[in-house]
Amino acid sequence: MDTQRTSFQRRQLLLGAAGAAALTSPLSVLAQGAEEIVIGGSIPLTGVFAFAGVGINAGMGDYVKMLNDAGGIKGRKVKYVPEDTGYKVDVSVAAFKKITSQNKVNLYYGDSTGFSKTINPELDRNGHILMAGASFATELNDPKKYPNQFLVGPDYTEMFGILLKHIAKEKPGAKVAFVYSDSEFGRDPIESSEAMAKKLGLSVPIKIMTPAGSVDVSGEVIKLRRAAPDYTIFHGYILAPIPEFITQGKQQGMTSKWMGTFWTMDSSTVMKMGDAADGFMGVMPYRYYYDTEKAPMLEKIRALRPEYQSTAYIQGFLAAMLFTESAKRCLDAGKPLTGPNLKAALNSIKDFDTGGLIGVPITISGNSIPVGRVYRADMKAQKMVAASDWIKL
Amino acid sequence: MRIGTLKETYIADAALFDSRTQKLWLAVGAALLVLFPFMASDYWLYLACLVSINVASATGLNILTGYTGLVSLGQAAFMGLGAYTVAILETKVGTPFVLNLLAGGLVAMLGGIVVGIPSLRVKGLYLAIATIAASFIAHFIFANWKFTGGTGGLSVPPAKLFGMALDTSFRLYWLIVPVTILMLLGAANLFRTRVGRAFIAIRDRDISAEVLGIPLLRYKLLSFGLSSFYAGVAGGLWAYFFRVVTPESFPLLMSIFFLAAIIVGGMGSILGGILGAVFMTMVPELLKLVVDLMPGGSELTVFLSPVRTVIFGLLIIGFLVFEPHGLAEVWRRVRRFFHLWPFRN
Repeated sequence: MDTQRTSFQRRQLLLGAAGAAALTSPLSVLAQGAEEIVIGGSIPLTGVFAFAGVGINAGMGDYVKMLNDAGGIKGRKVKYVPEDTGYKVDVSVAAFKKITSQNKVNLYYGDSTGFSKTINPELDRNGHILMAGASFATELNDPKKYPNQFLVGPDYTEMFGILLKHIAKEKPGAKVAFVYSDSEFGRDPIESSEAMAKKLGLSVPIKIMTPAGSVDVSGEVIKLRRAAPDYTIFHGYILAPIPEFITQGKQQGMTSKWMGTFWTMDSSTVMKMGDAADGFMGVMPYRYYYDTEKAPMLEKIRALRPEYQSTAYIQGFLAAMLFTESAKRCLDAGKPLTGPNLKAALNSIKDFDTGGLIGVPITISGNSIPVGRVYRADMKAQKMVAASDWIKL
Repeated sequence: MRIGTLKETYIADAALFDSRTQKLWLAVGAALLVLFPFMASDYWLYLACLVSINVASATGLNILTGYTGLVSLGQAAFMGLGAYTVAILETKVGTPFVLNLLAGGLVAMLGGIVVGIPSLRVKGLYLAIATIAASFIAHFIFANWKFTGGTGGLSVPPAKLFGMALDTSFRLYWLIVPVTILMLLGAANLFRTRVGRAFIAIRDRDISAEVLGIPLLRYKLLSFGLSSFYAGVAGGLWAYFFRVVTPESFPLLMSIFFLAAIIVGGMGSILGGILGAVFMTMVPELLKLVVDLMPGGSELTVFLSPVRTVIFGLLIIGFLVFEPHGLAEVWRRVRRFFHLWPFRN
């Protein structure tokens, strides 16, 4: 019995020690050099949004590496700390709490509109963080309500605005149909864009809302054909049911031009549509990886990664660039890295050269970068090619 | 070592906690719960609050599914009802949070009673489908009613206690954990009463229960009502915790999460609901901590993230195969081992 007791005591001791170690190490805020500037990230490396999350993560990581290799920001290194979220808001918040508990975070990347809205009071309370993210929700483009956040591109309403402006120029008075999913993402720009269309002299003869995961759209296609639009803009989807709409529409003799917004417009996504994608157009705030126009930053990316990188990668890359540019401007002005200071530094960005990631110099006066370009799918070349010049709103 | 518990009265027999050891451990547990917020970082406090909310809702589902035998996939929708009620009352009326939480529970309770009506005719998978329909209806209402803020939802101001805003995990801990403990005590005591025993009788054989004089209509609806009340209060706590309520906050997947929690934890056991909710919430986070400890940096994180979700899935399957009675049974076995320790039993 004595042996048993001794062994149990030892086991108890070991368990106790292991438990204490497991509890205390994540509990304490890890000591770190005051020099490091930390970018935290709730990144969807798994789940429904993983297709973009992996690219965003690589883009952010690559830019931070490039910057550190070049000496960092005023001699201070930048550290990127990502955490997988599975694209769930509660897990994203947990990741935020974990990263901010263990690091002194000044810059943060969020993975969804839900997260951006949920964490906003915490950002206001914390006061030391500037946040951007994967969301382009119109609601976030409000500096009063979301003073410590920004969008790495145009919001969804602005994306529609860019498309509508292009349409108004190409075919004045055209009929434009909106097809969107029954979700926060899908409904986001519809009402405001209808007003914008009217302002531009365009008409919106039909708006079709489908369930987010719908597959059979034959009824909706008939309605769309009856409205006979010149252009149809899809929003709130990644891929399905866009190819079904286009295939059935073409079979029924529709002559509409088909368009999409950012999350549909990655080259690999459009190419997955197959024949339906030929001539498919959409708004893209960034250059594609393979664009041949002069873009020194794209050349660097291509040298670093010879294989195709998604538009989500470019988005992550640009987010890291704007984060660190804001931090640099803050430090240059001798101001501490607080949320309001970083945001003011971001808003001081005027005619800024992104190294060609965006084709024109950008100015960020509010929470978004209202610039984009219309691209068209060239199925023979299996590439997206520019169909318009850069459009500023 | 403990070889038995002598019970001399019916009261002692029906007591929730019967031995001194048990009471001692409970006191230790309570002390730890009180000390925890002062020792833990914001991350662990956040997780404690989240687990607590999930425990409250899983316990509600356990009353309905584990104890009464009525399968429901509407738990997330009832949480949504509670959360929206709290959000609307907090933003538009400004009533105190205790009232709001109670109102959230009551509104969800009413919803649960209405949804429970088909349970008189259908059981099992059929009932599950009926409750799924309820969750779609709730989603439609949340997304299309102007009062609920449409697809954008509602932002909720923090709960206020004597003028102090409960806006951090530390402060919310003192609201969420005590409310959950109260709800757990309520549920545990419920099954010492006629009502609770009627639920169990219905689960074991509803026709026999009716023959024994248990009105099925009243008790099935009562079970739905109580379960939804729990979900409603949990949803209300959720609203105060996350401060934004949208129609997409309470997806069908969340209902499946709670059903999985009580199956993994152990149906028809209060402890099972607790352990299941803790398991389902914490294991993915703990797996992340394990990945963090591995050398290899962020490249490995990208590679291991999908592996982690596979391991989580395998763990669930493993528990179902090797311990169909759930974590509660594992816990009971561990306890039995220590009852006679150091002798073998």
